[in-house]
Amino acid sequence: MERLNLEIITPERVVVSEEVDMVEAKGALGEFGILPGHVQFLTTLEIGEICYAQGTQSRCLATSGGFAEVVDNKVTFLVDTTEFAEEIDIDRARRALERAEKELKELAAEEKEYKLYELAITRAMTRISAASKKL
Amino acid sequence: MATLRDIKRKIGSINSTQTITRTMKMVSASKLRRAQEELDKTKAYATKLEELVRRVVQKLPAGVHPLLTPREEVKKVLVVTISSDRGLCGAFNTNISLATENFIIQNRDKYERIGAYLIGKKAKEYLQRRKFDIVRDWTDIKKPDQDLVGTIASELISLYLDGEFDRIYLSYTHFYSPVKQIVMFDEFIPVHIDKGSNEESSDYIYEPDVGTIVKALIPKYISTKIYYALFESLTSEYAVRMAAMDNATSNCGEIVRHLTLVYNKRRQESITNEMMDIVGGAEALRGT
Repeated sequence: MERLNLEIITPERVVVSEEVDMVEAKGALGEFGILPGHVQFLTTLEIGEICYAQGTQSRCLATSGGFAEVVDNKVTFLVDTTEFAEEIDIDRARRALERAEKELKELAAEEKEYKLYELAITRAMTRISAASKKL
Repeated sequence: MATLRDIKRKIGSINSTQTITRTMKMVSASKLRRAQEELDKTKAYATKLEELVRRVVQKLPAGVHPLLTPREEVKKVLVVTISSDRGLCGAFNTNISLATENFIIQNRDKYERIGAYLIGKKAKEYLQRRKFDIVRDWTDIKKPDQDLVGTIASELISLYLDGEFDRIYLSYTHFYSPVKQIVMFDEFIPVHIDKGSNEESSDYIYEPDVGTIVKALIPKYISTKIYYALFESLTSEYAVRMAAMDNATSNCGEIVRHLTLVYNKRRQESITNEMMDIVGGAEALRGT
């Protein structure tokens, strides 16, 4: 059976380079899934989870955004940062979430930091949800 | 004329210099190894991104994005130069500063303004002394990180988009191997992608659309290029320092060898002289 060649790369290192059966991630227009034989595809990635399946096993990563490209069964994710679900420090993510929420309450929506904290919340929530999906 | 004691002292001082240079060489060697590993890891991202940008840009009609379109009239150019903060690394900083200086001197008449955007203390000191137009300088960068690179990239992009400069060059030291580093001098912004004669491939499905993706992709490409250049430069610095310190260590050894020879000769001479005196004295006594 055809398989996908998945590569997840950050500026610091190559995180994943494996043969997989399916990849799911969150793009600019919502979540998408990739199976072997997908057409050429290019999208920006949002803060969210990347999950991939090998046979019956699946693994998840949390990412802070980047690009995804599919060409001839080669799937390349170029992301800014990413962590495996197992590596995520849930307590830290929770603390970050609390802190951001507290700050957010004190800010008006038009301030510049508002957006930053909103992003921080999304990131923290993604990490918490990804962490709950560990193997 | 140096006395025996002077020579001995000199040998001692050179020996301790040698200890320092030898240590620095070993420190640089281990730093180089680590930097090289990190460079390799970064390389994967940089090359993939470059491939991606090339494939996307190939399909793009000209003039879609301002960062991809060369200006017809180039009056003001900016040179981004990456050097190091610390010396004792041979000709590393001289080479990179010289490349920038030569470019500025050679093209002075062609452009209205040539600015310099400097990273690293050494290039700044060098070019400041020669009274060049320094737009911005960054010093004390311990290790390149994404935040810093992001700031630099967006500064450069806005310098270009605001019409402050019409073309930006990037000059850094490319790490070819531990014994070979080359000074690179490239056109940087507007981004120039070698279209080449790549194989025909069908178009992508873009999400959300080409424009949005290119808008996100090109700045990313620029910052990755800077990040990568910083790492190349850092790795080169360690390699050059290691070579320089290796040279210094062996030079120290040579001087010590030479001085020891002089020292022994001098000692022999003084013993001979003393002997002559004694013999002469004894001869004189026997005569009476």
